[in-house]
Amino acid sequence: MGPTFDPITLEILWRRLISIVDEADSAVARTAFSSLLRDAHDYTCMFTDQKGRELAQGSFATPGQSGAMALGIKNLVTRLPLDTYKPGDIFITNDPWALAGHLNDVCVMSPVFYNQQLVAFTACVFHHSDIGGRVSSDNHDVFEEGLFIPFVKLYEGGILNQSVIDMIRWNVRTPDEVIGDIRSQIAANHVCSEKICQMLKENGLDRLDDLADQIIHRTEKSMREEIEKIPDGIYQAEGMIEQMKGQQDVVIKATVEVKGSDIVVDLTGSSPQVNWGGNVVYNFTYAYVFMAIKSMFGPDIPNNDGCASPITLLAPEGTVVNCRFPAAVAARLVIGHFLTEIIYRALGKVAPDKVIAASGGTPAQMNVFYGKRKNGKPWHSVIIRGGGMGASVRSDGNYVYIFPANGANTPIEIFESDTPLIVERRELIPDSGGPGKMKGGLGQREVFRIPDDEYGPLPPVNLGIQAGRHVYPPEGLFGGKPGLKAKFLVDGVPGNPFGLTQLNPGSVVTIDAAGGGGYGNPFERDPEMVERDVQEGYVSLDKAKEDYGVVIDPKTLKVDWEATKRQREKLSDDVPTLR
Amino acid sequence: MTQKVYRLGCDIGGTFTDFVLLNDETGEIKTYKCLTTPKDPSDAVEAGIRGLERDTPNFIGKLDEVIHGTTLVINAIIERKGAKTALITTKGFRDVLEIGRGIRYAPYDIFAEFPKPLIPRRLRFEVDERIRSDGSVLKPLDLQEARQVIQEILKENVESIAVCLLNSFENPTHELMLKELIEKEAPGLSVSISFQVLPQIKEYERTSTTATNAYVKPLTGRYLSKLSGRLERIGFKGKLFIMLSSGGVTSVETAAEFPVRIIESGPTAAVIAGQYYGRLFNISEMFCFDMGGTTAKSCLIQKGEAGVVPTFEVGRVQRFMKGSGLTIQVPVVDLMEIGAGGGSIARVSRMGTLQVGPESSGADPGPICYGIGGTEPCVTDADLLLGYLDENYFLGGKMKLDKEAAKKGVEEKVAHPLGVTYLQAVWGIHDLINETMAAAAKTHIAEKGGNPKIVTIVAFGGAGPVHAYGLAKKLGAPRLLVPPNAGVGSALGFFTAPRAYDVLRSHKVALSTADFNEIERIFRELEEEASKILKKQAAESEIYYERSLDMRFVGQGSETNVPIPREEFKKLSQEEIRRRFDEIYKKLYGRTYPDSEVEFINFKIRASLPERTLRLPKIDKKRRSLTEAIKGKRSAYSSLVKDFIPFTIYDRYQLFPEAAFKGPAIIEEKESTVIVGEDATVFVDDFGFLWINLTNE
Repeated sequence: MGPTFDPITLEILWRRLISIVDEADSAVARTAFSSLLRDAHDYTCMFTDQKGRELAQGSFATPGQSGAMALGIKNLVTRLPLDTYKPGDIFITNDPWALAGHLNDVCVMSPVFYNQQLVAFTACVFHHSDIGGRVSSDNHDVFEEGLFIPFVKLYEGGILNQSVIDMIRWNVRTPDEVIGDIRSQIAANHVCSEKICQMLKENGLDRLDDLADQIIHRTEKSMREEIEKIPDGIYQAEGMIEQMKGQQDVVIKATVEVKGSDIVVDLTGSSPQVNWGGNVVYNFTYAYVFMAIKSMFGPDIPNNDGCASPITLLAPEGTVVNCRFPAAVAARLVIGHFLTEIIYRALGKVAPDKVIAASGGTPAQMNVFYGKRKNGKPWHSVIIRGGGMGASVRSDGNYVYIFPANGANTPIEIFESDTPLIVERRELIPDSGGPGKMKGGLGQREVFRIPDDEYGPLPPVNLGIQAGRHVYPPEGLFGGKPGLKAKFLVDGVPGNPFGLTQLNPGSVVTIDAAGGGGYGNPFERDPEMVERDVQEGYVSLDKAKEDYGVVIDPKTLKVDWEATKRQREKLSDDVPTLR
Repeated sequence: MTQKVYRLGCDIGGTFTDFVLLNDETGEIKTYKCLTTPKDPSDAVEAGIRGLERDTPNFIGKLDEVIHGTTLVINAIIERKGAKTALITTKGFRDVLEIGRGIRYAPYDIFAEFPKPLIPRRLRFEVDERIRSDGSVLKPLDLQEARQVIQEILKENVESIAVCLLNSFENPTHELMLKELIEKEAPGLSVSISFQVLPQIKEYERTSTTATNAYVKPLTGRYLSKLSGRLERIGFKGKLFIMLSSGGVTSVETAAEFPVRIIESGPTAAVIAGQYYGRLFNISEMFCFDMGGTTAKSCLIQKGEAGVVPTFEVGRVQRFMKGSGLTIQVPVVDLMEIGAGGGSIARVSRMGTLQVGPESSGADPGPICYGIGGTEPCVTDADLLLGYLDENYFLGGKMKLDKEAAKKGVEEKVAHPLGVTYLQAVWGIHDLINETMAAAAKTHIAEKGGNPKIVTIVAFGGAGPVHAYGLAKKLGAPRLLVPPNAGVGSALGFFTAPRAYDVLRSHKVALSTADFNEIERIFRELEEEASKILKKQAAESEIYYERSLDMRFVGQGSETNVPIPREEFKKLSQEEIRRRFDEIYKKLYGRTYPDSEVEFINFKIRASLPERTLRLPKIDKKRRSLTEAIKGKRSAYSSLVKDFIPFTIYDRYQLFPEAAFKGPAIIEEKESTVIVGEDATVFVDDFGFLWINLTNE
C-alpha cells in the first residue's frame, strides 16, 4: 500500500500533471509544421501510469482522438511484457485498429523511466495531412489508403532506427513535413517525460501509481455519482445513415443499459462493414460513445482512465462499428460521428435535460477541392463545414458548428487566394432549424463558382466530399421537428454527395449543411421568441404560422396574439397526437 | 512662458480612477485615487486633478501631457451599451459575423453558449459588388442600389455604420465609395470602413473588428471630446494622449477614429512599466506578474520587449475560456489573464478535492475578513491567517481585518468538508492558487520559447508581492523584483509608453513572383498613413519607421513576422528576404525547410516618435540602521518547515539604499506586503526597489 494524499496535496499534484501535458501541447504548437496541427489543434498529448492507465490529457483535443487514446494506449502498452521496455525506446504506429481509426493519425509513444524504474508512458497522436496512398473515401481496403506503420521501435535505447524514417520518407508525398511533424511528436513526449521525472523528484515520490489510483478513483466516483441519478433500465435507439446510390443504408442499433452507476452500450444488430472507407474501428466508435456519456455526466471533469470506467461498449466484430482488418477506414467520420446522437436518443428518454437533438454538423462535411490553374500550377484546398446544432431543453441549438467533432472553417478570403474559385455565398439558411419549443440551429449554405473567364482553372476541377444528411434529416426530440436536410447541387441539379465529382468552368456548386433538430412541441414556443426569429430573418412569416402557429403582423413584425391563439388551436386539432 | 514640467497619468478602472503626477525635473511622483464615476467618467478625472492640486498647487498650467487609459470601451462592449449599428457587406455574406470560425471552445460542453454578434441580423445589409482575391474588380459596385441600401439603413435610426466588403484589403475602392455615399446621404453619421480599421485578410476577423469599432465609436468620440473640453476649461494647455492596447500612446483624434485600438488600454500600463524596468536594469528575461482582487495578469518580457499579438477576444461568455469571446484583430500586448486573485473563492470540488478560483468574491462582498458580508473563504483570508497580512495594517490600516471570522470560514467550508486540518486547509488555499498561476505561467513562458528558471519576476498589484515568492519557488525562478509602491509601479508605464502606431496591409503573394516595386509602394503608403497620425501628436518631431513582413510557407495556416531594414524594398534580394525568414523561423520553431516556397501575407509599419525618458526618483540616501526599519516580529507560515515561524516585519518606508537582510521577512507598505522566505535575501537599491534572490536547487 503506497502513500495516500490528502485532498489538497492531491489537487496540487493533479494540476501539476495536467500542466505537464499542457506544456507538451505548447511544445507542439511551437515545433509542429503543418497548419492542421498548429491552427486546428488536431493532435492529442497524454500520459499514463506504468500500467497504461491514462492520467492526464491535453486540455483541448478533438473528441475523436481524445476518447480513442485512453483505450488505445492502454492496449498498446500491454502488447509487450512491461519488463521489455528500456529507457530511450520510442515507438511509432498508425495502425487504425490500435488508435484513432485511420492512417493519418500517427502515434508516437515512449516509456518513461525514473531511477531506472518504468513509471509512465507518454504518447501523442497527430493528424498528419499526408500519409501517402490514394486519397479518397471509395477505396476498398486500407492498403489503398496509404502507408500502414505497425507498432515498431523508432528509437531503441536512444538509437534512431533510420530504416523506419526512410520507409516513411519514401511513402508519403510531403516527406519533410511528415518527418518534421514526427520529430515534433518526439519533442512533445520528451517534454512530458522530463517534467514527469522532475515532478516525482520534487515531491519525493518514486512512482505515479499511488497518485494514479487516487486520481482515477475520484474521477470515476464523480462520474458514477452522476450516472446513478438516472433510473436503471434498458434504453434503445437506432440510427439510419444514408449510403451512395445502389447501396443499402447503414443501420446502427444501440441498446443502452443503465445499471446502478454502470452503462453498457451494446451495438449488436448494426450493419455489417461496408466496402468503402466509411468503416469505423472499435476505438473510434468508443470515442463517440464516450463523447456522449462524458458530455452528459461529466463535461467539466478532467479526462483520465476514471471517466471511462463506468462505460462498457459491446460492438460485434465485422460490423460497420467494429470493422475487421483490412477494411477501408479513411472516411470513418461519415458513420462514426453518428454514435453520439444515437446514445443521446437512447438516454434522452430518462435524462431529457442532458441531451440535445440531432445536429446538422453530424457528420462534419469535408470538401477537398483540387485542380490546376491556367498556367498548369496545381492547387488544393480543404473546407470543413458544420451545420445547426440540435436544440435542448434549455436553449435553441447553436448555429453552424461541427458536432460531435470540432474544427474551424476556412476563411473565404483564404480559400479564394489559394484557389481560382469564387465563393458566392456563405450564409445561414432561414427556416432550416428544426421547429420546436426550442428551435434547432440553422444550417448554412455555401455557393462556389468555377470561373470560365481568364481567371478560371483548367478543366476539370475535382471535388471530393465526405458528408451526410442528404436523405435523412437531423431528427428532433420530444415533439421537436427535424432540421432541413443537406444538399449538394451542381448547376441546380442534385449531384452525388459521396466520393468524387468533376466540375467544369462555368459550373456553380451549392452545398447546404443541415439544420439541427428541434426540442419539444413547437406550439409551446414562446410567441415572442418566434417574433424575434422573424424580425432577424431566422424564421419566415409563413413558417412562423405553419410550424409554430404564431401569426406575425407583416407590417409591424409583432405577434398578433388573437390570431396566434386561433392558429395554434386549429393546428393542434389537425395534429392531435404530437409526440 | 511657464515651463511645462509635469506629466499626469490617469487610469479609469472599474472601481477606482488612479492618478500619478510626475515632475520631470525632480523625478518626484505623487499619486491619488478616487472612485470612478460611471455616468460621466470625466467627473472623476476633474476630481482627481483637484485632489492633486491640494498637494501641488497650480500644476495644471505646467502640465505638458495627460496620458489616459480607460476601461470605458471594453465595458461598453461587455455590457452591450454601444451604439445601434448597421453593417454593409458583400452580397452573400451577411452572416459572416454570426457564423464566425466555427470552433466549439468547450468540446464536451454541449450547452456552451456563444457571444451574440454586436450587430443583429436585421441590421446587416448587402450590396451587389465583388472584388477578386487579387484586388481586381469582378463586379462593380451598383451605386443606385447602394444609395437605396443606405436609405433603408437610415430608416432604422442607427447611430453608426460599419462597412466590410470581401477582399477589400486588396482593393478598397468600393468601401471608399460607400463611405463617401454615406457621408453625402447622412452627414455626420459615424462610419467605420474595414480598409481603414484593419486592412487584413480573413473576412470574419476583419468584419468583427470593424463592427466593434463602429459599435463603440460614437460613445468614445463623445467621451473624449467632453474630456478634452473639460481639461481645457480647467486650464490644461498640453497634449492629451490615449493609451493603446498595443502598449503605445496615441492622439485623441486617432483614438476617437479607431476606438477598437484602445480596448485594453488599462492593463497594458503594468507591462509598459515592466518593459521599462527590463531595459533600465538590463534584465533579459522578465516575468511581469500583476495580481489583484479578481485576476492575475502576467506577461513575459524578453530583452525589454513584451510580445504583441495580432488578435484577442473581448466579452467572453465564459470569462476564462479561450474562444468564448468576440474576436478583435488589432495589435495588443500579449497578456495572460487567469482567474486568480485575492478574492478567489476556496471550496470543495466535485471530485472532493480543494478548488480555489476562478470564481471571485470581488471587492464586494469580498473575503470574509473584510467583514462586509463575505461568507466564502478567499485567498486573502488564507493570506491573513498564514500571518502574511497584518489585520491592523491592511491598506495602511484603513481597513481592520476580522481574523476570527476568516478562521471560522476556512474551518467550516474547507477543512471540515475535506477532512483535513485547519493548517492544511489554510496553507492549501495559498499554495493551490500559486500552483494555478505557476501552471499558467509555465505554459505562457513555454509558448514564447522562454525558460522559467531564469526569469526575474516583477510583482505588481495588491496581492502580487504576497504571492510572488511562492510563485517563484514553483517556477524555480531565481529572483524577484518588487518596485516601490505597487500601485504606482504599474502607472509609471504611462510615462514610458512609446509614442508609436502600428499599421498594416494584407497582400498575399509568393516571394518568387512578388513585384518589389509594388511592395515599396505599399510600404510608402503605410508610412504616410502612420505619419499623418503621429503628426497629430507632435508636428515637429522626427518620426522613426520600422518595417516588417508577415510571411509563411505557402499553404501554412499561421505567419511569422520578419523585420526588415528600412530601405528601398527592391534593393533587397529574394535570397536576402528568404535568409531572414529562415533564420527567424528556425529560432522560433527549431528548424526550417529551405525547399518549401514562402509567401508574403502582411506588410507592417511601426512608426514612432523619439522616446521620452523618465528619471526614476531615488529614495533618501541618508544611511540609517536597519533596526529602525524593523517593526517587530510576527508568526507566519514557512513553506519550507511547514509550520509557523517568526518573520521579521520591515517598514518599507524606512528602508534605504544598500540595505540588505535575510528572510524570513515581511516588508509592509500601504498597498501591499512582500513575503520573503527564509532561503532568500533582500537588497534595496537606490530607487527603493527590492531585489530578492532565492536559493533554488
